[in-house]
Amino acid sequence: MINRLQATRYVVDNLHDEPIVASLGNAKFDLYIAKDRPQNFYMWNSMGMASSIGLGLAMARPQQTVVILDGDGSLLMNLNSLPTAAARSPENLIHIVWDNRQFELTGGQPTHTAFSTDLATIARGAGFKHVESVDTQADFEVVFDKALQESGPWIIVAHIDSERSPGRPPKSAALIKHRFMEALGIQPV
Amino acid sequence: MTWSQQIVALLKTYNVQFLSYVPDAIGEQILKLARQDEYFDILPLAREEEGIGVVTGQYLGGARGAVLMPTSGVGNAINALASLAIPYQIPLPLFIGLRGDLGEFNPSQVPMGQALRPIFEALNIPAYVLTQASEVPPVVDGALKLAFALEQPVAIMISTQLAGWKDEK
Repeated sequence: MINRLQATRYVVDNLHDEPIVASLGNAKFDLYIAKDRPQNFYMWNSMGMASSIGLGLAMARPQQTVVILDGDGSLLMNLNSLPTAAARSPENLIHIVWDNRQFELTGGQPTHTAFSTDLATIARGAGFKHVESVDTQADFEVVFDKALQESGPWIIVAHIDSERSPGRPPKSAALIKHRFMEALGIQPV
Repeated sequence: MTWSQQIVALLKTYNVQFLSYVPDAIGEQILKLARQDEYFDILPLAREEEGIGVVTGQYLGGARGAVLMPTSGVGNAINALASLAIPYQIPLPLFIGLRGDLGEFNPSQVPMGQALRPIFEALNIPAYVLTQASEVPPVVDGALKLAFALEQPVAIMISTQLAGWKDEK
């Protein structure tokens, strides 16, 4: 079983200035602990939107790798985004899904992946060609390295333990946006 | 110029390169022009809510996008507007083909159509209805200018008075 914080540290340590879109809850909490950097886009709500934000960002910045850190519950809430992204197929997109088979923040209620749903199979069915499902940190590192080197889009479903993250990034949405855009070299209005 | 040609020209004036959409008969009048213009990069969505995220990502990445959607789609997009585009201050022009109003044949379109204006009002999203061709240049120009100055969503509803309604009884 993969530990989300350990795997998140590996992701951040192997990036330079590439943007990361982090879904609400534990995905962004652990990203904040692993490394708070202005290129982190922390979502405080709009559950499910990480995959769509990442697609839009990848479309706007085709020369730069874009990483999405998503959760199983969040992706299940916006499964529509998978066929949309697969049809567009941006080569610079790496979509990581932390799958702990539960809504950990709200009390550990099971998500559908606790039963018979397999997100990697859904991603393949949506049309993604590069889909990996991993259960160990070693396998995660191998697959993430490959995703950084080879054209995507990539979907990496990482089966993680149920550890809760204590990380709490700033809550000001305007602050998160402005420092993110500034780090990407975008002039304010 | 027709109303749809005017909208396409104004989108270019404001550097709105990316158009995401869920199709409807009214929005298609804009999209069929945009498809013939290499300036535009057009993304089909499966559900309208995705468009709120996509345009957010595009804006964060230094580019401008708009979403075209039918009236029903506003219902599918409300939470993303309220909990993403508004707090994160994302300029987001919404072009909505208005159903459930004049000339409507389908009663199941009416509740959402009549609720649109109060919904936008409740969210403090500036919302405008286009009813005749002469209104299109000032209203769309002004709404796009407002959206990008304020960095907030702005709704432009295209009525059946302007775009025509379905022949169906």
